[in-house]
Amino acid sequence: MAPRIAVVIGSGGLKCAAALGLWRVLAREGIQPDLAIGSSGGALYAAGLALGHPLALAEERTKWMWDSLLSFDPVGVARAALPRMLGYDARVGLSRDTKINAEMHELFGNSMFSDARIPLLVAATDAESGECVLIDEGRVADAVRASVSLPIVLPACRVGDRLLMDGGLSNPLPVDAAIREGSEIILAMGFENSYKPAVRSVWDAVGNVIAMSTNHLMRASFAFHSLAHHAEIIPVLPEFDRPIGFKDSALIPYIVECGERAAERQLPYLMRLLESPVSAD
Amino acid sequence: MSLTVVVGSGSVKCAASLGMFRLLRREGVAIDRLVGCSAGAIYTACIALGMSVEEAAEKNRTLWTREVAERANRRAMWQALFPRALRFTEEWGLKDDRLLERRLAAAFGDRTFEDCNIPLHITATDFSNGEQVVLSRGRIVDAIRASLALPFAFPPVRIDGRLLVDGFMSDPLPVGVAIREGADVVIAMGFESVYQERIHSPSRFAMQLSSILSNNLLKAMFAFHGAAHHGELLLVVPQFTQRVRLFDVEKMPYIMDVGERAMAEQLPYLRRLLESRAVGAGA
Repeated sequence: MAPRIAVVIGSGGLKCAAALGLWRVLAREGIQPDLAIGSSGGALYAAGLALGHPLALAEERTKWMWDSLLSFDPVGVARAALPRMLGYDARVGLSRDTKINAEMHELFGNSMFSDARIPLLVAATDAESGECVLIDEGRVADAVRASVSLPIVLPACRVGDRLLMDGGLSNPLPVDAAIREGSEIILAMGFENSYKPAVRSVWDAVGNVIAMSTNHLMRASFAFHSLAHHAEIIPVLPEFDRPIGFKDSALIPYIVECGERAAERQLPYLMRLLESPVSAD
Repeated sequence: MSLTVVVGSGSVKCAASLGMFRLLRREGVAIDRLVGCSAGAIYTACIALGMSVEEAAEKNRTLWTREVAERANRRAMWQALFPRALRFTEEWGLKDDRLLERRLAAAFGDRTFEDCNIPLHITATDFSNGEQVVLSRGRIVDAIRASLALPFAFPPVRIDGRLLVDGFMSDPLPVGVAIREGADVVIAMGFESVYQERIHSPSRFAMQLSSILSNNLLKAMFAFHGAAHHGELLLVVPQFTQRVRLFDVEKMPYIMDVGERAMAEQLPYLRRLLESRAVGAGA
C-alpha cells in the first residue's frame, strides 16, 4: 500500500502563495496527497487542494484574492479609538469583513468539508481559551474565513458556538494534526515572518512583536513534533531574498517560483520514500 | 549532580517562586544555578544575591506596585499618532519607566552577576531578530530592566549594542538555558497568562493576543525541551484559585503559599532524584 501523504500549509500571509509552487510540483509528478491541512493564509490553498480545484484556477484567482482581502473600516477604527463610547469587542477589526466574507463565498461557495475529495482540516484559534481548534466540518468558506482573521486587522468570527481568531496564533504550522491523522509522509510548508528592519510606527512594532512570537511558536512546535514523531516530516521551506508584505501581490509569480524550488529540493527524497515500501509495524 | 531552578514570566504570580524557595531552604535542598525571565528575573536575582525569602518578599512588595505603570509617557502617545513628525523609533513605550528604574536601582544598586552567591542567568529577547539573549554578566539591574521590557508598555533597553525586550517573547520558561548549562535536575516554575473575561478595548484585545501567543509558546517550548533533554525536568505550575491581577502585591502571602504547595507536591520525587543521583555521582 502506498504511504499516506499529508500536505500542511502554514500561516505566512501573502507568502502562502508559495503553496501553488508545491501544488505545481505535486501535480507534475502525479503525486496525490491524502490529507490537506492549512492554517491562516495556508488554509486558502489547503482548501482549494482538498476540494479538487484545478491548479490553473487557484493560480488565476490568487492575485485577486490577496488584493481584495482587506478593506479599511472607518467604523472599526473609530471603535478602537473610542472603545467606551462606541463599544468594542473581539469582533471589531480595522478592516471591514463584508469584503472577505464575499470573497470566501466566491472562492468556496457552499462547499462543505464532506464535499472535499481528500480530508481537509483548517486550524483556527479559540478567542476565549487561546487553544487551537481544528475545523473538519461545516462550510469550508466559514472555516477558512476564521483561520485568516489576521489579528487586529480582521475581526474574529463566530463558527458554531465559538469565537475564532487566526490559526497562526496557536498553530502556525499544524503538523501535529497530520501526525494524529496517521499520515506517514508529511509535507510541511512553513514560513518565517520577516521583521521590519526599522521600527518607525506603532504598526511596525505590533507587526514585529506578533512576527517574533509566531516565529518562535512555529520553530518550537515544529522542533517538538519532528523529535516526537517517527514518521517522515519533510519541511518545505521557501527562501525569499526580499521582505514580502500584504501589499506585494505583484511579487506573486516570484513567490510561487520560490515555493516550487523549495518543493523540488525535497522531491528526490520524497520519491525515494514513495518507492520504498512502508514498513508495517 | 547539580540542580537548576528556572522561574518563568508571570508578573506578580512569580512571587510563588518565593514559596518554592522557602520550602527548598527548609528542606536543605541546595540550588546550583538560577535562571529567571521577566518578573521571574527579579525573584531569582534576590535569591541569587543571598537574600532571605522574607527580605525578597518585602523588596517586591514595595517594588512592583501599580504606580510603576501609572504614569503615561505623553510624548510616546503623540509619537504613536504622528510617527514621522515626532520621529518614532524602536525605543518606544507607552509608560514612563523612570519610577520602575528608580525602584530597581534602589533594590539592586550596582550589584553585578559576579556578586551572586548562586550563578544567575536572566533572559531577554533581541528586538531586531527575536533571538533569545542570555545575560550573565554586568549590572543585574540592567538585565532585569531588559527582561521586564514588555513591548508597548516599557521601552526596550540597549545592552552591548543590542536592543532588548521582554524575555517571554522568545521563551516564557527558559529551561533551555538550564539544559545548556549542564543541569542534571531542572525545576521549572512556569505560569500561564490569564485570559481576559471581557474584551472591551484594544488594549484588552492586545493583552488577550499576547496571552494566547505566550501560552502556546510556553507549551510548545516546554514540550520540546522535555522531549529533547535526557536529564530530569520537573515542571511546577502553581494553580491559583483566586484571580491574580498584574499588580496584586497584597496577595503575595497567598501567592507564595500556592507556590509552596505546588513545589511540595514534587518534593518526594525531587528527594528520590537527589538521593539516587548523589549515590551514583562520579560513576
